[in-house]
Amino acid sequence: MRRPTSDASTAGHAFLAVMRRDLSIFLSYRTRLVSQILTSVFSLTLFYYVSRLVHVSGFKSPSSYFGFVVVGISMVGVMYSCFSIPELLRQELVAGTFDRLLLSPFGAVRSLMAMTLFPLLYSFILAASTLGLGCLLFGLQLHWSTVPLSVPAMALALLAFLPFGLLFAALTVVVKQGSVGTTWVIALLSIVGGLYFPVSLLPHWVQTAAKLQPFTSATSVLRHLLVGSSIGEGAGGALVKLAVFAAVLVPASTLVLARAIRFGQRRGTIIEY
Amino acid sequence: MSSRSLPAPMPVAAAGEDLGASLPAKVRPRAVDAFPLALRNVTKRWRKNQSPVLQELDLALEPGSFTWVGGRNGAGKTTMLRIAAGLIEPEQGRAEVWGVGAQENRVRYQTLVSFLPAGDRGLYARLTVRRQLEFWARISMTRPGQVRRVVEETIDAFDLRELADRRVDRMSMGQRQRLRIAMTFLPRPETVLLDEPLTSLDTEGAALLLRAVRQVLDRDGVVLWCSPSGEHLDMTFDARWVLDRGRLVPG
Repeated sequence: MRRPTSDASTAGHAFLAVMRRDLSIFLSYRTRLVSQILTSVFSLTLFYYVSRLVHVSGFKSPSSYFGFVVVGISMVGVMYSCFSIPELLRQELVAGTFDRLLLSPFGAVRSLMAMTLFPLLYSFILAASTLGLGCLLFGLQLHWSTVPLSVPAMALALLAFLPFGLLFAALTVVVKQGSVGTTWVIALLSIVGGLYFPVSLLPHWVQTAAKLQPFTSATSVLRHLLVGSSIGEGAGGALVKLAVFAAVLVPASTLVLARAIRFGQRRGTIIEY
Repeated sequence: MSSRSLPAPMPVAAAGEDLGASLPAKVRPRAVDAFPLALRNVTKRWRKNQSPVLQELDLALEPGSFTWVGGRNGAGKTTMLRIAAGLIEPEQGRAEVWGVGAQENRVRYQTLVSFLPAGDRGLYARLTVRRQLEFWARISMTRPGQVRRVVEETIDAFDLRELADRRVDRMSMGQRQRLRIAMTFLPRPETVLLDEPLTSLDTEGAALLLRAVRQVLDRDGVVLWCSPSGEHLDMTFDARWVLDRGRLVPG
């Protein structure tokens, strides 16, 4: 009798299978990629002209503000991807496919973690294409000597962001809603994360709040590496901060997610939607 | 119903010894009264002040047995199957596969048990039949080198060859049900739980299902079949029960 196994290689293939599934579903909607690239073009166009229209204090030239905001726009996409997990989970619940994940030896927690792979990879590609479009269409000047370093920095940033998606997924498992909250959180983080304007413009207490989450540090590091913006806390300090966020929050959020699933199984509401 | 009133239970020591010898070490029964599936003293209520949907329910399935559980709508058949599948937990009691509960070793539990929920849900509408089966094979932890063969064998076993590259949202209800059944049997489970499996199936689909059931029974697995009324099949059930007021009574 053939017997399934649970070794690391098989689990690794299961992780990739989830990503491949999400890619297949994504590619089955042929206009989605084009639509999102067009959205980036519109955002870039808007901020390109805004940067030329107004004088922004703290920036040497309109181009330096444009470079600043293009990285911010790229990070918004990354943020949306991180917070898309609860909505993806809700879709699985409604379609009844979450039952399958729960009933599989691979399990619901690992499946949900694997479900983050494609959105994060996709956001990475989308961020790169936004920067590319900024260069091609609007003459964005990238700091090519440090651009390669932005790849591992982005990977670390994604690890630091991932727990937020997992925590909202846990919330969705328990209360069956999560996407409403994520919209608020993204809007809030866009402000305190300094995606569209420098955090230094904000009231002092908000600046303090900006230091308590990883999005501000990640955006600052990536700006530094991609467009040569100065970074207050130093690139090393910001990277250490991201690493600490990832090291603490990834296991903590995984534990919370596992507990939320167990809670749903005890109450019998795990597959309700 | 208590375990004492189970009809002609298999001599428990023999169950452990015989099956233990035929199974790989990692799935050998731990206890002499271990069964391919056992529900022990299971009680489940949805709200504290409501009467339980399942009440101190005991059920032990002997190796190679084909069992039917019926009951009116809302009697608790699906709840019982969900508990048996490890999907939800009972308020009291436990479900076991070879003496192991889902919470003790979930990977092993889900490796041995396969559950076909009622209805037509649980499929990715935008994936083809082959992609769906591949995905399921991989999260069922099938060895990577065996996935392709297992998928192709399943496609043939459930006569899905013509549909293999068709997307699920372009298939009929009966075709989808055949795919759901194929997914249920793909990992070669020992304990199969079927909730109204004949839904939307044509004669040919029902015959394929029964063939798969026979194969499970032939390798000493068990099949628990739930439906509101008794099915007229080309197979006889070894035991028939009706779920009534949270308890099993002979059907």
